[in-house]
Amino acid sequence: MSTPIGAGRPEAAQPPRPDAAYRGAGDGEPLPAHVSPTYYDRPLLKKPHWEWEVVTYLFLGGVMGGCGMLVAIADEDGEDRELVRNARYLAFGLAAACPALLVGHLGRPERFLHMLRIVKFKSVMSMGVWGLVLFSLPASAGAAAQAAEDGLMPDWLRHVALRPLVKPLQALLGAFITGYTGVLISSTAIPLWAKGKRYIPALCVCSGVAGGCAASAASLALTGGAEASFAKLERLETIAAFAELALLFGFERHAGELGAPMYRGERGAKLRTWTMGLGIVAPALLNAVPVHARWKTLLASALTLAGGYVFRETLIEAGKASAGDPKAAARQPE
Amino acid sequence: MGSGFFTDTTLCIGCKACEVACKQWNQLPADGYEFSGNSYDNTGELGGTTWRHVAFIERPAPPDAPAAQTAWHMVSDVCKHCTYAGCMEACPTGAIIRNEFDDVYIQPDVCNGCGYCVPSCPFGVVDLIVPADYTFGRRFESDGRTHDDATQRTGGVAGKCTLCYDRQKIGFVPACAKACPTESIQFGDVDELRARAKRRVASLEARGVSSYLYGVDSDSSVGDLNAFFLLTEPPGAYNLPERPVLPSTHQPAGYASAAVCAAALALAGFAIFRR
Repeated sequence: MSTPIGAGRPEAAQPPRPDAAYRGAGDGEPLPAHVSPTYYDRPLLKKPHWEWEVVTYLFLGGVMGGCGMLVAIADEDGEDRELVRNARYLAFGLAAACPALLVGHLGRPERFLHMLRIVKFKSVMSMGVWGLVLFSLPASAGAAAQAAEDGLMPDWLRHVALRPLVKPLQALLGAFITGYTGVLISSTAIPLWAKGKRYIPALCVCSGVAGGCAASAASLALTGGAEASFAKLERLETIAAFAELALLFGFERHAGELGAPMYRGERGAKLRTWTMGLGIVAPALLNAVPVHARWKTLLASALTLAGGYVFRETLIEAGKASAGDPKAAARQPE
Repeated sequence: MGSGFFTDTTLCIGCKACEVACKQWNQLPADGYEFSGNSYDNTGELGGTTWRHVAFIERPAPPDAPAAQTAWHMVSDVCKHCTYAGCMEACPTGAIIRNEFDDVYIQPDVCNGCGYCVPSCPFGVVDLIVPADYTFGRRFESDGRTHDDATQRTGGVAGKCTLCYDRQKIGFVPACAKACPTESIQFGDVDELRARAKRRVASLEARGVSSYLYGVDSDSSVGDLNAFFLLTEPPGAYNLPERPVLPSTHQPAGYASAAVCAAALALAGFAIFRR
């Protein structure tokens, strides 16, 4: 564009003012054919370095949060006694496993402690780490009291449960953990993720609740529980799963071209097969079969959980692909 | 005000002295000998151990231009040291700080390699690198490009331009600005640089060259850039976003979306379980 003085180019051949696009005024004016809109199509953004540890954490964290919510939602003094017991143990086990995954992905374990130097409201990751650390308190207290009740631990531990305090706390923190992962992902510069700021957090919550229900139902099928508990879990799971399905379709429409890395090609096919088909529709159909059988619950739960994992994996991998699209990155979603 | 860079692309001759000076001073490893075919740019992009990158835009003149002239633009890209820095906001350890010179600096000993700053930079500047190895006197071994994604699992840290914090501490000009033979890279007080840059745009305009400043008086959520540019092409041509968006601006919508959904499902749960 730096027209040399005296080059004598006719006025008409001048490309539009270079700053037109930057100032947002040149939206209607296409660039001249010889001007490339990108820099050799090289990626503008850096892709996240998150691998299977983070995907697994996002998945298990969702299941853990879902179980935490169930502890407070189900009535432990009624017929759902076994359900609450299993949800407590599951939440406790996952609260132990999740930090291990996060520590693992940091390479040097002691560096996890760097996260605990500060509390930073602006950083979703800092909020999430504190959510996880805090969640482990009611999860441990609840599990210890439950173990005392089940005769596995000294009897005095019953009193650590402080039910009116511990249960709502576990449910609130559980709900936070299912959702914050979505907020963390969507408050980045990755075009697909940023575009999904209204969808991805809700999707993570739905998938987490469905996963929590599925994991609890599976554990209940193994340890035995009231038939009514299964029916209730299936109903909540179906509601969460179909909300997830609707949100997945909604996000596809909303994202348009930016959604291509997630919804098209091999990744899209995998999402449709494993998450939308086998992970949401198939378990709902299975649950509709009026037979109460252990294998049915286990199969439906396994499918729901597998779908939840594939959803997280697709989200992360599609984000990496989206980071590599310079056209999407040049016009960042507001 | 703080310190920063004014990179005037109309003065850049593409010598890459800034890239070399940066690598030398900061003891950063070379980028290898890969031939890109993209004009003279074999560096490709900024990275964890590549803190200056000279981009080359070389193309034939428009077909209707009278003389066979080649459009030939170079720009030395660098970390923008944003007023509202996405990387700094995302950092969960407080490793990324704004130092006394108003520049965004990563403390390598505090960074824990979580990698959240990497997708949080709207300019794609920060990346993970293999950790410092002080025993052998090497600050950084390699960057993510040569070792793919292994950096995080092997305990990597985030790396980017420090705006030569160490040199500034002793009153020196950052290595790239010092080495630039045409003063395309100017270092100094940001307010002063901005005034100078505006005069430069006016002076170029008077000579028939239309140009604009990228990162000055911007309406973007990242605010003004401490390292800003005088450009003659649209930002996309240099691999710069047209309007960078600060990632944390997505948080309110995100938290609201999660809260509404969680509340709805909790209500549904109570309706089912407590009837």
